[in-house]
Amino acid sequence: MQDNTVSTHIKDFIWQHFPLARTRKIVDTDHLLEKGILDSLGILEVVMFIEHEFQIILNDDDLMPENFQSICSIAAFVQRRCHDSSAH
Amino acid sequence: MDFLIHHMLRTSAIRFPEKEALVHGEQRLTYSAVASQVAGLACGLREAGLQRGDRLGIYLDPSIPQVLSIFGVAQAGGVLVPINHLLFPGQVAHIAQDCRMKGLITTTAKLATLEKVLPDIPSLEFVVVLQDTETPDVALPVHSFEAFCQGAPLCSWREVSIEKDLAAILYTSGSTGKPKGVMLSHAQVIAGSSIVSTYLEITAAERILAVLPFSFDAGMNQLMTAFQHGGTLVLINFVFAREVVQVLLQERITGLAGVPTFWSLLAQPSSYLQQHQLPHLRYITNTGGAMPQPVLATLRRLLPTTKIFLMYGLTEAFRSTYLPPEELEHRPTSMGKAIPNTEILVVNDEGQLCRPGEIGELVHRGPTVSMGYWGQPALTAQVLRQHPFLPPELGSDEKVCYSGDLVKMDEEGFLYFVGRRDTMIKSSGFRISPTEVEAVLFQSGRIRGAAVIGIPDEVLGQAVKAFVVPREGEVLMPETLLAFCAEKMPRYMVPKALEVLEALPKTPSGKPDYPALRRREGY
Repeated sequence: MQDNTVSTHIKDFIWQHFPLARTRKIVDTDHLLEKGILDSLGILEVVMFIEHEFQIILNDDDLMPENFQSICSIAAFVQRRCHDSSAH
Repeated sequence: MDFLIHHMLRTSAIRFPEKEALVHGEQRLTYSAVASQVAGLACGLREAGLQRGDRLGIYLDPSIPQVLSIFGVAQAGGVLVPINHLLFPGQVAHIAQDCRMKGLITTTAKLATLEKVLPDIPSLEFVVVLQDTETPDVALPVHSFEAFCQGAPLCSWREVSIEKDLAAILYTSGSTGKPKGVMLSHAQVIAGSSIVSTYLEITAAERILAVLPFSFDAGMNQLMTAFQHGGTLVLINFVFAREVVQVLLQERITGLAGVPTFWSLLAQPSSYLQQHQLPHLRYITNTGGAMPQPVLATLRRLLPTTKIFLMYGLTEAFRSTYLPPEELEHRPTSMGKAIPNTEILVVNDEGQLCRPGEIGELVHRGPTVSMGYWGQPALTAQVLRQHPFLPPELGSDEKVCYSGDLVKMDEEGFLYFVGRRDTMIKSSGFRISPTEVEAVLFQSGRIRGAAVIGIPDEVLGQAVKAFVVPREGEVLMPETLLAFCAEKMPRYMVPKALEVLEALPKTPSGKPDYPALRRREGY
């Protein structure tokens, strides 16, 4: 999957499920935790979406704040994980 | 004897001056340091103009200054009004207007978000802000929190309060309207602390982790129990449940209180709870809704040496029942029995005591029954009423609390939650008034009808669902309306689902038919 497709998918999801992201017009590099878009429960929703949408199972080690900082970092993380699983 | 909230701090500072009282990340404060800063703050607040009974808002993230403020306001003779840090300016303004707030303790950043609503709070005479790089630009006297805390306390200190005085106002929602302020006296807060510490067997050895906000009665109770017994309170800001597990380990936490949503997060494999043993975690308590049974089973498995207390309380009566841990095996769905020194009655619509198994309203009698709602005598009279069964010869005007919660009692006196008498929603531990959410939906100017209900949700307890009827000729996109809501209220209040209808089902009196909407959703 193309990088920009992944981040568009994630952005669509976040804009749709976190209405504040839409009103604040969150861009790919905005800090989602600091801007109050995501909280603990929000991250759970994002995790469920990623697992379903990209057919990857997240390990415990994947749940690091740095992987969920922004749409960019979520997309980069998903790319990395998709790449890892296809390499096996 | 400790009559006032801050007396508990004073006593612990005399008994354990060098003991750790507060921990937050790298910051550690002893009881003597806390007592000295609180004394300085109390002096500063009086100099700033605080008088006995004045309401002071505390609008801070979970932090050491938040705890210092709670005790500082009490010691100065004021009434503390903790404001949940998740609230938006509109809600903060409502609280400040409603209680005619005289002063506000906050940060420069938070004060900046309130800029537009400050002119709507004419009672506000001063603000106290935490040190920041920027100076706030407001037309009010601004005092430095740190300067107050470091100030030398006066030697001619005079106590102005007695235990019957109002100590705190906790804002909470009901089934209608905006949040209401539940009034608690010093004696009620201390009674709540003494009662809970009795059955949790809290001692000076306790290291309690505070994840619940202090604006929530159970959160405030945790703080009070820790300080009453000279224990240590550890504060945390977290996003991932694993951060909580790490602090439980590092700080050798002995007690932890949470709401069902918190336990759901902690029971996820990604919390790493299953990879660790927590022998020092003596007890955990759940409140704010029933813990989902699978979550309870997971916690019992992962924490074999920890006592699990299922508790129930409503802010209007502070704390009400708990299930002793030894009963968990036999009746995991029960909310238990009355807390010590408290009587729980189950009363039917005819005003009689219910038989075992009969559904009735939970009525609470005891020393933690609150003083009612600030400035709302009519609403107070609905909730706090005369005891129905006392002999008239007593001539007692003692008030008991009608909870609005429907329960039933089994043959052995254990209580079971059945549902709410009204339409109030409870989501992730927060009480949400449907009409408050509906009012925000109407503010959009795009709809002519709205009704909000709670639908069962595995993690949240209940999730908010809105039904709306667009104005004539309006093509309504649910996302747009939800985005509007997200700007006006905190995330826990924003509907998780929104459905556009041509008309709302109505009762014969023309009000939205909430039961019909719930049936429509299959509940």
